[in-house]
Amino acid sequence: MPTSDASVTPGLLSRLSTMAANLVKVTTTKAPIGQTPRQAIWTLNKATLFRYTPVVPAEKRHPVPLLLVFALMNKSAILDLRPGNSFVEFLLQKGYDVYLLDWGTPGPEDAQLGLGDYALEYMPRAIRKLKSFSGSDQFNLLGWCIGAMLCTLYSSLRPSEGLKSLILLTAPLDFTEHDKISLAKMTEERYLDVDLVLQVYGNMPAGLIDYGAKMLKPVENFVGGYTRLFDNLDNTKVVDSWHAMNTWVSDAIPLAGAAYRQFIVDLYRGNKLVKGTLIVRGERVDLKQLRASLLNVIGEDDHITPPCQSENLLDLVGSTDKEILRLPGGHIGLMAGSGAYKVAWPKIDAWLSQRSS
Amino acid sequence: MSSETSKGLLERVRGMRDSMMEDLAKVTLAWTSSDGFQTINAVISKPTLLTAAIFRKATESAMADVLAKLNLPSREDVLALSQRLTRIEMALDDVGAGMDQLRRSSQQQRPAPRERENHGGGRPGKSPTVKEG
Repeated sequence: MPTSDASVTPGLLSRLSTMAANLVKVTTTKAPIGQTPRQAIWTLNKATLFRYTPVVPAEKRHPVPLLLVFALMNKSAILDLRPGNSFVEFLLQKGYDVYLLDWGTPGPEDAQLGLGDYALEYMPRAIRKLKSFSGSDQFNLLGWCIGAMLCTLYSSLRPSEGLKSLILLTAPLDFTEHDKISLAKMTEERYLDVDLVLQVYGNMPAGLIDYGAKMLKPVENFVGGYTRLFDNLDNTKVVDSWHAMNTWVSDAIPLAGAAYRQFIVDLYRGNKLVKGTLIVRGERVDLKQLRASLLNVIGEDDHITPPCQSENLLDLVGSTDKEILRLPGGHIGLMAGSGAYKVAWPKIDAWLSQRSS
Repeated sequence: MSSETSKGLLERVRGMRDSMMEDLAKVTLAWTSSDGFQTINAVISKPTLLTAAIFRKATESAMADVLAKLNLPSREDVLALSQRLTRIEMALDDVGAGMDQLRRSSQQQRPAPRERENHGGGRPGKSPTVKEG
């Protein structure tokens, strides 16, 4: 059938060439992520405080600046994944003065850094700089994953430093329901010798953390992602999105040894934060001291930090203005998935804008 | 027509693959969250880690000897130096913040330009405006 061949062949060829180009792209390059213009205004050791260049005139901007704090073992670029799918970009367009505390990559010399160092040495200094740079005595804080846990520690231990409101995203705080937390089993004392791991590596290697997280859903993580890519190889938009996420996922960083040890021993095994027995740099963390306005965002399908790890938080804190927001989505997809800009971001903006003036 | 048939076939194959993967995911998840899997992980990883720890200790001690003989700083010395530098950085950060605060409070205490002019304090030919960085 010569006529049908003539109509099919050019289309097929173009499709095949798109697929080949996309395949080469994802296998040989890293996607450009974290592209929103920003300026480093403070550094300490590996940590850097960035201020994103505002896109809204000063008179239309919210006067209270917002500080973003991400987890310790992944890069913060997930907050600014790529143009058109960037939470930072969204916040800037909504008129927020956005700052980001990037923890950097710990080296062997940082193995002694504990949660207290991050929450009580680095965060207060970065916040001091933020306040002096922005000229505002008040600020809002948004923490994600371990970043949310650090923000909780900071907010409970330094409640009078100008914190106006706190947003916690997928925060691993409560370890009471041990059986519902997949990572908790993996980190039980009989299966994991934390001290031996740290004796060998100093810091918790990124590869081991990644392995642990991926083994929570092995087929989805090791196979599912690639079949999704293969199915959409001729769709450049989907491939670009996959490529950006894959670039971020494959670029994990080690977790400082002492912080990892505390996280496993004091929190996963001891559940000390909720029990009120957690001591950080000699200070007991009392969640009742957390008095800032609080929004606790939970991903209904989060398998890394399941809802039970923070859904009872509102009963434990001292805040009077507090709210829980349950959203569809997983640990990362909740905020960086393709639907985040329609669901999670507007809801966070709606809550935050009322507390940013 | 043939393209539609092949499309339909492809969809069927995909559907079968997806349902197979779904089943496999359930089975694998049940296995990876079981005590058996965690025990195997621990049984494999513990001797590996122990061997690595012994090897690391031996190489570190040999390296420390070599470096000491060459009159070079050891790994511990370099790590300690780095930690000390971070502490110095923190101290400098505190000093910088203190100076910032002093500068701001001295600017606040300084009389406003109009006030200075009224009291004859304005310097002719110079703008009394204080510019903040």
